[in-house]
Amino acid sequence: MANRVADVCLVGVGEAGGILAKELGTAGLDVVAFERGNVLAREDYGPRDSIKFTARLALQDFIRHEPNTFRSSPDQRAIVRRSTTSALGGRMLTWTGQSARFTPDVFKVHSNEIAGGIAERAGADLAGYDIHDWPIDYDDLEPYYEKFEWEFGVSGGGTPNPFAAPRKKGFPLPPLRRNGKMELFEAACKKLGYHPYQNAAGILSEAYRPPGPYDTRIEERPGCVYCGHCNYYGCHVHAKAAPLYTVIPVAVKTGNVDLRVNTKVFRIDSDGSGQVSGVSYFTPEGEVEQQRARVVILCGFVFENTRLLLLSGNGDDRGLANSSGAVGKGLCGHGDVRTVGLFDNFVVNSFIGPNTAAIRMDDFNGNNFDHSGLGFIRGAALGTSGDGAPVQWYAKGGPPGMRRWGKAYKEFLARYYTRNFEINSATETLPHVDNFIDLDPEIKDEWGIPVPRVTFSFHQNEKKLQSFIGDIQQNVMQAAGASQLWTRQPQRGQRWTGGTCMGDDPETSVVNGYCQSHDIPNLFVLGASVFTTLSGYPATATIGALCYRTADYIKKQNTWFS
Amino acid sequence: MSKEDQETANALTAPTALTPSEFATVEAISGRIIPTTDTPGALEAGSAYYIDQALAGAYASHLGTYKTGIAELDSHCVGLVGKRFIELSEQHKDEILEALEAGQIEAVSDGPKLFDLLLRHVMEGFFCEPEYGGNRDLIGWKLVGFPGQRYGYDDPYINRTVDLDPTTFDGPPRKVD
Repeated sequence: MANRVADVCLVGVGEAGGILAKELGTAGLDVVAFERGNVLAREDYGPRDSIKFTARLALQDFIRHEPNTFRSSPDQRAIVRRSTTSALGGRMLTWTGQSARFTPDVFKVHSNEIAGGIAERAGADLAGYDIHDWPIDYDDLEPYYEKFEWEFGVSGGGTPNPFAAPRKKGFPLPPLRRNGKMELFEAACKKLGYHPYQNAAGILSEAYRPPGPYDTRIEERPGCVYCGHCNYYGCHVHAKAAPLYTVIPVAVKTGNVDLRVNTKVFRIDSDGSGQVSGVSYFTPEGEVEQQRARVVILCGFVFENTRLLLLSGNGDDRGLANSSGAVGKGLCGHGDVRTVGLFDNFVVNSFIGPNTAAIRMDDFNGNNFDHSGLGFIRGAALGTSGDGAPVQWYAKGGPPGMRRWGKAYKEFLARYYTRNFEINSATETLPHVDNFIDLDPEIKDEWGIPVPRVTFSFHQNEKKLQSFIGDIQQNVMQAAGASQLWTRQPQRGQRWTGGTCMGDDPETSVVNGYCQSHDIPNLFVLGASVFTTLSGYPATATIGALCYRTADYIKKQNTWFS
Repeated sequence: MSKEDQETANALTAPTALTPSEFATVEAISGRIIPTTDTPGALEAGSAYYIDQALAGAYASHLGTYKTGIAELDSHCVGLVGKRFIELSEQHKDEILEALEAGQIEAVSDGPKLFDLLLRHVMEGFFCEPEYGGNRDLIGWKLVGFPGQRYGYDDPYINRTVDLDPTTFDGPPRKVD
């Protein structure tokens, strides 16, 4: 069996690999799916243990944390951080659960902001930025967002968001239960004339199983119990959407998906025909083996998809599928601006979950507002946040200038743990030539393979935007009645995208709108690494939509498979 | 936990990674990071026991830092006033810790880093799940009003204090059939 030519080889079984395995296995294709992480049980990810899941996050041995190196500019030496989660089902097992559709403007930043004159009116300095449109638009993804929402179970609706992308069908589930910080934030937004709405969450508000015409083979799961352990934790009741207990079991049951966990793919193989021929990997025992396949689909995290292309050049220094030289470019990550508010006259209880039960407002997201004279383009949503058990919360520190220990800090913790929340904004970052991924020249992983090196910092557009958003947050927090408030500006990026960006032009992008390599037609790349630009929303729903769309495209290629 | 029970618990969990003398220093530092006031602090919560237990296991890689750091801190105090850290007055202890945090103690190789580690571990020991050896009698959680690692909440407690008795844990992950 090992030497057979599979129809499809998937590298990584998280959100992207899980969806593709289910879709392609169901279509009768012979799929081999490689996952370098382990299969976790509820006993591994389910305990509500704040030491194990937060304080000792980096020491978790049941989830692999792959090393990457980071530096903020090309003249620095990069230091090691472990930031890539590997386990069957990927990071969605421990995600926060925010499930947002991108709005139409996200896909056309070059057309709107640059060609359309928004940047000029704003007086934005975009020197050093390299901004392109996506090759697809919102309408291409709309039906697939719907499929993602109905298969994974997304709770939403309630207060309408006037800036939301148009949707043909409502949410499968009503919104999650309201909480104290939502009340405070919503009242403040209304007072200031903004448009608050309850955000959509990949967390079930009640028991749910997808109805037809969606995939009814996905098992029923119960509704959220509001324990407050979402980010970094697995969900102990399975209310939070995760591939491990939705699409992956269905994929395995098709009988067409050969799932190989604890295996590490280290190279995509080519046979000199201009096509890829399969992958080389380490077995769980550390032996090198090859798997041949008609189609190879990279389904890993941003850094890993990029690294694998860079490692697979077969003599070409640029790597594989990189005639454009664009592999590694277009790296973006959110800069989270946070304003903390303390309340003497309101018990907020932010530890009651989930954090994704939140009110947000998009009045300052994307190009929803007049940028004239502001000196920057794009924006961010504002939303309620601030969950966590005490061991997470103390570490955020008190008001600026307060010592982090001693009597005063003890009194601060005692008084305000139940009386605070945060306004968080994932401010958009634009692709910049100094933000990129390459291979670290020194550091290697446990298999002796160079790790991905990330070079990233916020540049002039981000800094102006972050400062602007901080001011708006302070106004809203003031209007919410906070007795004290302060803002923390981001020191580093998070929620990464880019590295194998999609585009229409093979000279400036790596894959086309179907996430198919411009250079090599039987090679696909899925995941946030294909995003052309970032947006002010998290990536998960859009990754899902892209996967369902690419699966449909591959299923139609009758001549590719015997 | 009564005083007698606590003494029994302490006797049963004599330091394993740290020497008794090192342990006493860590305990004294914890007592300044979260002091005992009209409410119990890190001493009563057993932060030092959490740290010792962690240094014997998950945090074993930090044991060397602790041993070296404590020795350096003590020799600095002895050189300065002829007393070890634990023998100083509370105010004097605070001054030493402030200097350590600010990187003003040359005798300690990387003072700010050592202080950060101590601060983090004392806080973890104050707020941890009790099976990790700290947060005795749920002292940390009671102080801040956290009702414990609950299975869930039937009520959002909007602008109301949560009136549930703190619990260490009210149920394992449950299977959904």
